[in-house]
Amino acid sequence: MAAAQIFAVVIFIGMFVMIVLDKIERHIVTIGSGILTLVVVFGICMRSGSAIMDTLAIRSFITKDFWYQVTESESKGINWATILFIAGMMVMVEGMAKAGFFRWLCMKIAYMVKCKTVPIFITFMVMSAVLSMFIDSITVIMFLAAVTIELASLLKFNPVPMILSEVFCANLGGSATMCGDPPNIIVGTSLGFSFFDFLSNTGLCAAISLLVSVLFLYFAFRKEITGGKHEPVDMSKFPKPSEAITNKKDFIISCIIFAMAVILLVTHATTHLTVASIGIFIAAVTLIAFGKHALELIKKVDYKTLLFFIGLFIVVSGLEETGILKLIANFIGDISGGNVMLMIAIILWVSAIASAFVDNIPFAATMVPVIQSLAETSGVPISTLAWSLAMGTDIGGSATPIGASANVVGTSVAQKNGYPIGWGKYCKKLAPATVIVLTISTVYLFVRYL
Amino acid sequence: MPQVIISVGREFGSGGKAIAEQLAKRFNIPIYDRHLITEIADKTGLTPEEIEKYNEKPKNHILSRRVNGYSNSIEDNIAEMQFSFLREKALSGESFVVVGRCSETKLRDFKCLVSLFILGDMSEKIKRVMAIYDLSEDKAKAFIDKKDRKRKRYHNYHCEGHWGDSRLYDLSINSSRLGIDKTVDLLEEYINARINNG
Repeated sequence: MAAAQIFAVVIFIGMFVMIVLDKIERHIVTIGSGILTLVVVFGICMRSGSAIMDTLAIRSFITKDFWYQVTESESKGINWATILFIAGMMVMVEGMAKAGFFRWLCMKIAYMVKCKTVPIFITFMVMSAVLSMFIDSITVIMFLAAVTIELASLLKFNPVPMILSEVFCANLGGSATMCGDPPNIIVGTSLGFSFFDFLSNTGLCAAISLLVSVLFLYFAFRKEITGGKHEPVDMSKFPKPSEAITNKKDFIISCIIFAMAVILLVTHATTHLTVASIGIFIAAVTLIAFGKHALELIKKVDYKTLLFFIGLFIVVSGLEETGILKLIANFIGDISGGNVMLMIAIILWVSAIASAFVDNIPFAATMVPVIQSLAETSGVPISTLAWSLAMGTDIGGSATPIGASANVVGTSVAQKNGYPIGWGKYCKKLAPATVIVLTISTVYLFVRYL
Repeated sequence: MPQVIISVGREFGSGGKAIAEQLAKRFNIPIYDRHLITEIADKTGLTPEEIEKYNEKPKNHILSRRVNGYSNSIEDNIAEMQFSFLREKALSGESFVVVGRCSETKLRDFKCLVSLFILGDMSEKIKRVMAIYDLSEDKAKAFIDKKDRKRKRYHNYHCEGHWGDSRLYDLSINSSRLGIDKTVDLLEEYINARINNG
């Protein structure tokens, strides 16, 4: 077992280093590491066919629970529910983007507040948070940042504070729901939580934090936001929201499918449909609705991200099957001395600090079995630890420009348009904002769950 | 004259830039090196100093990330802007000389591309750098090594081929053998032959 443990750790660390170095595309890194785990750790060291089968989890497809789940259950190995759900949402989002939904929404809101800078700043932050509750933050920021830059050039303001605030709120909004941020999908599907479980736990914390964050970011950036030229706004010069719609029929269909996805997610604890079923259903409806353009949408699906997840789950299974994650859980249990308050604080803050510097998806995938084991040995409810992990990984990512995907996309869009955002500019306002939200989360977790 | 794009890769201190400038003069075409920075500055609203800071520099792998083709490394984005600027110029039918910027790879689809790599003997490069930058021999050597390391990392990050690998260029030449002027004569002849060859 010692050899298996050593190889599992070496493969895991090697994978992390390769992801950071960015020399090879990250999906190739995780898939390669996954194959190594299957062959070396499970095959050569452990000689365990059952470990390989458990990790590949192919049998999960033929279980009723995978599609229709009455009682909560936990998954092991490759989390296919996460993969199918993300794939389904990708298809839906591609359809929405093709129809012009996101650009239309941004323009519509800018028009509703009469293209005034401060109201745009506030409404775009809220919109970023709300959209990120249901749609991946990469897509949300891709569109929001592009429209912000367009509006900035028309209204003559500096788009950087607005883009940074949107990025922060996207990460915060993502923490509110099960499908908002990949770590939440992993936590939810692995531990059997529903959309509503997240909404009523992390969602409430995110709502309080959003209120405080909007105020903080407004005061932090008010000089830059209100410092632009105050010429009367000539609305006729602005692109009309309706111009964003590429095809009215596709636009209406996209809106209906999006509404359906939201309803299915909100009610899935009642309907017992799993996120895997919802993902497949939404993808199928989108493809049928878009008819001859269906192939185009499928081609746009980011299969690299899906492969990245598959490889990642295999590597994490290597750590799990060899007992490494149990050792980490025992270590956390030991240093907290059974003190639940300390346990929550460690999970929240360590997850946050780690997520500020490394990809929070591998971190969350690794930590799920750790908190499972910790809950078993310490008797602390798994839900309390799950919310601590979700908040920590989701919020911590906001602290640095590399902490979360939304940060990378937002700063990249700004840079491509001539607004370089380095670490100093990014961290000056968003690192304190992150600390504030983490403090709120800590207090929230203590008050509500202890 | 039909369109010709002359890409000049170079070792630091080899006189590659001077050779590129002379070629631009002889063929009476613009050279994109420093100009590339000012053109991008005009286009983006960044100052030339800001662009210069990140110009032809490898990105910091620890401090930046790439997500779905979006990179938040300022070095990456400045590089991408330069690559697209060069592609636009090439597509417009303009003839020009370009120094570095992975141009031998980024513009390799253009049949009119002549890619050159200028190298030099270390002793000659040191002499040159000592004279230009007023440095001691040791410092000049260290400066050359540092600059070349950066260029290599920058190139190899953005391209599949290796910086300075002769298989990547139409012609690699050691400027220390003939000196700058005669090297330019020889290259002019080669480029003319390429132009006449269609």
